[in-house]
Amino acid sequence: MSSIELGDGVSWVHECFPERDGHLHVSVYVIRTARGNILVDSGSFYHRDSLSRRIADVTDGSGIQALILSHSDYPHSANIPSFRGQWGDFDIVASCADPDIQGLPYARRARIGETLDVLGRRFTFLDPPLADRSHTTWIFDEESRILFVADGFGTLHRPGSCEQLWGALPTAGRAEGVGEFHVQTLPWLRYVDPDRLMDALRTIFERHPAKAVAPIHGPPIEGDDIDRYLDDLDRAVRALVTDPS
Amino acid sequence: MRGYRRDAIPGIHWIQECGRHRAEIAEALLEKALEWYSGDRDLHVPQNAYLLDGERTLLLDTLSPAASDHALDSLDELLGDRGLDFLVISHPDVPHAGNTGRILRRYPDCQLVAPRAGETHALYHLDGARLVGPGDEIDLGGLVVRFPEATFLDAAVHTWMTEETTRTLFTVDWLGFPHLGGECLRCTDEIDDEIGVSRLEEFHGRVMFWFQYVDVDRVVSATDELARRFAGYTIASAHGLVIRKDAARFFESMNDVVRRVAASGRGGVL
Repeated sequence: MSSIELGDGVSWVHECFPERDGHLHVSVYVIRTARGNILVDSGSFYHRDSLSRRIADVTDGSGIQALILSHSDYPHSANIPSFRGQWGDFDIVASCADPDIQGLPYARRARIGETLDVLGRRFTFLDPPLADRSHTTWIFDEESRILFVADGFGTLHRPGSCEQLWGALPTAGRAEGVGEFHVQTLPWLRYVDPDRLMDALRTIFERHPAKAVAPIHGPPIEGDDIDRYLDDLDRAVRALVTDPS
Repeated sequence: MRGYRRDAIPGIHWIQECGRHRAEIAEALLEKALEWYSGDRDLHVPQNAYLLDGERTLLLDTLSPAASDHALDSLDELLGDRGLDFLVISHPDVPHAGNTGRILRRYPDCQLVAPRAGETHALYHLDGARLVGPGDEIDLGGLVVRFPEATFLDAAVHTWMTEETTRTLFTVDWLGFPHLGGECLRCTDEIDDEIGVSRLEEFHGRVMFWFQYVDVDRVVSATDELARRFAGYTIASAHGLVIRKDAARFFESMNDVVRRVAASGRGGVL
């Protein structure tokens, strides 16, 4: 399977990376609009050839006309030069205070809190409570109401579950996959006050009611599963701060 | 200003990329009417790399892609006919590691050294690197480096470093702060202003955005443990000026910084 349709022109295009405790998705998302195709993040160089083929399939060969970058971490940004070589010098929208230092001198800057038009579609850039790099932004697609969450909301999954949405993952081990992902990916969580963190997350969903959450490192989470995921995350964070080892 | 300095720490060359004046941060500072910034000087948030010069040589971090030529030219000048033996990447973040490929192509016999922490090294081209962490040591001949856990960090693939003969702790993203035009490559004991809590907050309130969600007591406990463990060390961060004297005051100030960010939220992005 090359991609999974999430509705309103949004497709999840994913690859997997094997880790010690399971598989880690390294995904991108394609948004097809009347004015062209938008890519959310560019994936890892590790999957460059297969991602390129899958994106070409999803776009019927027309490729990418714009890219929105959650942050410049390599598993998210490493294919930008290659994809620009393949599909032309498309517009790049990225959050960071100094694009030169992030290696993106050609990027249009997105500021957290603002809404920008990209190929006629409106995206709001949010301050992410779950992130590694400080310039990360979450991206809310105002049309599909899908929230793209970069390094947040990931889940390690077992081999064989690579194609499943979060709600379809086997419940045995799913919550553990949420916890394992965040322990591995966001080591600063050992310092958090779970109430403060979870309040910030729930406030985002109150202000931006999302139809689905689209992480880079886990399967998309749809509808009522968002609350189930938040409950699993809440328990995982409380367990982590109780026993950081 | 872009430059390097040989004498701040014996045997360690400090290579600095100051980049452009950070006008947006400067504007925010003027709105806050902070005592240390009056708007008449440039404001820099630097990237620092450090070349350790023993019988063998080791570079910690590479500067950003915006300073590729500066990084390579500095290495050429500092190393002369000698090679670069080790390149240590503190973490694979663009402003720290963005010149890794160019440096390794220039010095093909150099061994790439990366943090053992984390699970995704292949996604960063680090799967072939020598992986290091707590308990590991590299003897450069006259200088000895170790790799303590990064206590305050962003991503998982991350290490701090010490050099034990000079008692220098390299804290990477922690204990950075903006400096003013005229303060580039100066140690904190060589500038007129004392680096206070608000300068440290201006950096950490952006880079360690997650301070806004912490249990302050947990962070203070970790900071106090660092202060005990590394008492008397020089602090060489990736985004500040070298702290040779009175580092204990900076550790104490960081406890005030985290209290402030936890109370008032992040200050922006960097």
